[in-house]
Amino acid sequence: MTYSNETSPSGELEHKLAIKAQRLDDAIEVASSSPSFSRLTKMPRLIESIRQVLMLEGGCAVVEARARSIEQTGIFEGSDWADPQILIPSLTRLSLRSPYSDTVVIEALSELRLLAVAKGGYEHPRMSAEQAHHYLAQVLAINLELLFGTPSEAEREQQGRLATISRAVIRHLANRIGYEHIIDRLIDEIWRIVNQRPIQVTDVRQMITQIAICRNNPDIDLGGSGQGADRLISSLFGPTQACREDPGVGVYLERIQAMDQAALQSEATGCARAMHDTGLVSPYHAALVQYLREQSPSLLSEALGLSSTGRDCLLCYQDLVHALIQQGIFPETCQGLYGLALMLERGIMYQPPVAPALWRQVQLPLSANARERIRLAFGDTPEPRAWLIQGVLSMLGQPLGVGQGNNPTCQSARALSMWAYNDPDYLLQMVAWAARDDEIIMHFEGEPVSSRNSASGVAAEITLDLDPVSLLVVPHLDRIYAEMGRMCIGREGDPHRWVNPEFHGWWSGRGFSINVDVATGNLLDLERFLQHFYITYHPYYNGNQPLIHPQPAGIAVTDSAARFIGWHALTILRVSLDQQDRMRVYFFNPNNDSGQNWGDDIVVSTSGNGERFGEASLPFEQFASRLYIFHFDPLERGNPDAVPAEDIARITDMVYRSWGADRVPAEGLQADSGPV
Amino acid sequence: MNSESKFNPEKGYVALLGWSLNAVEAAEKFDRRYVVVAPDWAEAYCEEHNIPYVPWNFERLNDRSVEIAQTLQEMGVDVAIPLFEETVEWAGAINSVLMDKPRLFGQAMLLRDKALMKRRAQLGGIRVGIFEEAHDKGDVIRFLKRVNQTLLKLDGDPNDPIHLKAFDKAGCLGHRVIRTPDEVDVIPEEEFPVLMESHLDGWEFAVEAWIHNGKVAFLNISEYVTLGYSVFVPATPDLEKYREQIKGEIEKLIKTFDIDFGFIHPEYFVTSDRTMYFGEVAYRPPGFKVFELLERAYGFNAYQALIMTFDPKTTEEEVKAFFPKEVEDAKGYAGCFGVYPRRRVVSKLEIPEETEDHDYFESHELTAPMEETVTKRTAFGTHWGLVYFFGDDPYRMRDLLKHQEELDFYV
Repeated sequence: MTYSNETSPSGELEHKLAIKAQRLDDAIEVASSSPSFSRLTKMPRLIESIRQVLMLEGGCAVVEARARSIEQTGIFEGSDWADPQILIPSLTRLSLRSPYSDTVVIEALSELRLLAVAKGGYEHPRMSAEQAHHYLAQVLAINLELLFGTPSEAEREQQGRLATISRAVIRHLANRIGYEHIIDRLIDEIWRIVNQRPIQVTDVRQMITQIAICRNNPDIDLGGSGQGADRLISSLFGPTQACREDPGVGVYLERIQAMDQAALQSEATGCARAMHDTGLVSPYHAALVQYLREQSPSLLSEALGLSSTGRDCLLCYQDLVHALIQQGIFPETCQGLYGLALMLERGIMYQPPVAPALWRQVQLPLSANARERIRLAFGDTPEPRAWLIQGVLSMLGQPLGVGQGNNPTCQSARALSMWAYNDPDYLLQMVAWAARDDEIIMHFEGEPVSSRNSASGVAAEITLDLDPVSLLVVPHLDRIYAEMGRMCIGREGDPHRWVNPEFHGWWSGRGFSINVDVATGNLLDLERFLQHFYITYHPYYNGNQPLIHPQPAGIAVTDSAARFIGWHALTILRVSLDQQDRMRVYFFNPNNDSGQNWGDDIVVSTSGNGERFGEASLPFEQFASRLYIFHFDPLERGNPDAVPAEDIARITDMVYRSWGADRVPAEGLQADSGPV
Repeated sequence: MNSESKFNPEKGYVALLGWSLNAVEAAEKFDRRYVVVAPDWAEAYCEEHNIPYVPWNFERLNDRSVEIAQTLQEMGVDVAIPLFEETVEWAGAINSVLMDKPRLFGQAMLLRDKALMKRRAQLGGIRVGIFEEAHDKGDVIRFLKRVNQTLLKLDGDPNDPIHLKAFDKAGCLGHRVIRTPDEVDVIPEEEFPVLMESHLDGWEFAVEAWIHNGKVAFLNISEYVTLGYSVFVPATPDLEKYREQIKGEIEKLIKTFDIDFGFIHPEYFVTSDRTMYFGEVAYRPPGFKVFELLERAYGFNAYQALIMTFDPKTTEEEVKAFFPKEVEDAKGYAGCFGVYPRRRVVSKLEIPEETEDHDYFESHELTAPMEETVTKRTAFGTHWGLVYFFGDDPYRMRDLLKHQEELDFYV
């Protein structure tokens, strides 16, 4: 009774597909017509009928065409898939290889749904076509090997026939998005991410590894594409002559032991160039630096690619830097080298408390809880202390590379970034408290707030996809932040007014401006708000005063169709002219990828407009059109009427065209009766 | 949502006795006002989902029973519908108050007790097998011997089996087959008293009949492939050829039990000489998801049909318009198979490839095993979950269901 697709004429296959598609339609109808309380009981049949369709050739297209009606049955409800904007591409590796049928089917379904979104056939409330496209490009990249060759033994053993579905979906995605573009788009995508210099590069490393594997597979013809990957691949697997062919760290160490000074110097500059080109560090680099520290310390500055500032700093604090390298840099934690190099360049070690605080860090004993968390996230080697040193180096070197991972903790990520940027020894203090004592105490208007006594944070659970510092500190910060919010219950207006300065630091302005009425959600005094923003931040209207301290701010995030998505925390870093003499706001977005399309032609730029690594930027007016909260110093008063009315009008129009569309208070509705 | 306005004011207000999600769903989508009467564990769920609800624990009938009848009467409920065997006598008691027809209670008691039921059927001229009540193991051994003597078996000949059933349980619960006196020893004392029946070599099948104004409104014949394992609807032409005869039997039942409205679910044997033997009848929806199979095959919601035929305000025209034509209007054949693990030790669920690949295979509700060791089945036991099939050929369906018995779903 076994049934083989190959031997059946295509007519029979079509017939079979038609029958199964009809069954699927029946199951969709049953699920969508049932009341919410019994929906769940209809899901096994729906999932099974999707599985049956996907098992057949051409099944993916059938499911893609029904993506919207399937999603509307609530099949994703109660799971992460219900919020596609938070999905992490790298997790699809696991789910598409799962031995559990339901997991594979749901993951495949989610991909096909996003494909429908990316192709414009399905306007999703929480995901734009561009976002879906980005996401799918990454999914493809991470699962590239499913496109080529036959199922591996491991795949077959674990998944059996389920592998058919995973492979069919990836192939379908590639077909619909276009094979030749995948690799090149993927490479562009990687460069775009790498150019923001994130601290967490696990995903990026994984994608580059996949490309490297594909390029080395003689069965895969990439044609002319994939050339742009050379630098990416070599920076990870062969940054220099002596490791060009990726011989393994052991062989590499033997080779450099035999080298003379000139050859070592060339290795050092080769590694440094690769690192500064991409922000990615090769494990060979870690091996080289450890070797140089012992045998030829004078080359360390070359190996870190330091300028005169960095070299000066290195020479001033040589023992400390050596200790940090010795205790924190291993092939596994090689990324810490980039953080170390940039930290030296920032010159922050000249601030009196920083060097002694780093000495404390080198010797810091970790609590059992902290060790366990780091082990869970990063594995057993090297020991947790080394991971934490790497994390500290990365954060101090790349304060704008902090990301919140898949957690609703933008506030905590923003605070970490702000401290690393502005108050590094305070950050080191936080790390010590969290990692050693498992408790952080902050003060809210004089009242101590302990992370241990606070009930729960904003996030129910903090995931492990974070850098080592965030991994240990964010759970504490999140609880404290939530507790401060609770302490504001009963006060009128938005709690950020009080929480932000207490939470982030004294430099957050005590003046607070918001353009949304908390009770109704309607816009409030929009013009006044914008004038005030101009006279506080815009150098033409604030007496040409550059922003001194990073300031927390809140924005209304919109998608590429300019529809409101949610409130989000970010940091305004500076306001200045770009190379075209446009006034721009440069800011930090704790979201893992700042390059976003906010609709109405507002595309957040991450490079090419004067951004430093990790900064995002927008022209001043465009930024103002998404702003809803900012802080200021109440003692600095400007003249609001100096701001041209037409500038303000342009911005208010942008607000009305996007997130403010249905927030216009009643008296503003005279001309338009609006939807009833 | 649950607004009053979506219900038709011309129609009745029904109470569903017992918790069945499928029944509630059907009611929610139908045009009658309804209320669920269920034990208090259902309360949170009903509240959360805005399901109209009255708490009641259906234990034994007692002197407080009238409270629920009065509550429902005050709410303006027109009729109570039993969803489970245990709520049949409650429905009878409540309806005798709501409708002011005391005989409904007596009728329900008859339908609840298998021995009384058989006697009544016998009195009505309906053919039943040999049966007796047993109060202890001695009674069982005597009955087994007597039945086999009657069949002129000699000592040493294999006995014809007898069947033991609990008086007041649904379907296969507590059903045992006894062939030798040794097997009597394993029956636990607490199962007594039981009803004993002679074994009939014949074809067992079930009927689902909706009754309105004392007449059969829709009659379905469910074909058992193997009792306790599998069933499908509509039946094969081999069984459907008895339809007229079966309808006659059902009309006898209606008359004998004085059933005016609602739904009955009797079981019969037909022997090789075309004689029909009555097994038992239940005044509630059948198990084994036959209602779901009917919906799959015909497209009408069997629970809504139940509500309609119970509702005293339902008109003749509505009933006519609601039901499709039996067999002719079926879109196909829908069947299900109850899976029992075949091995003593199992570690995982693995749907056989040939089942999964079969055109008729639709879905299953099997879950991964909770324990590795499979408890030995004593009585008919409970299956681990159902597998659903749908197709256009009744004979292929029958053979496919039969074939499933030889496959391992748990390995």
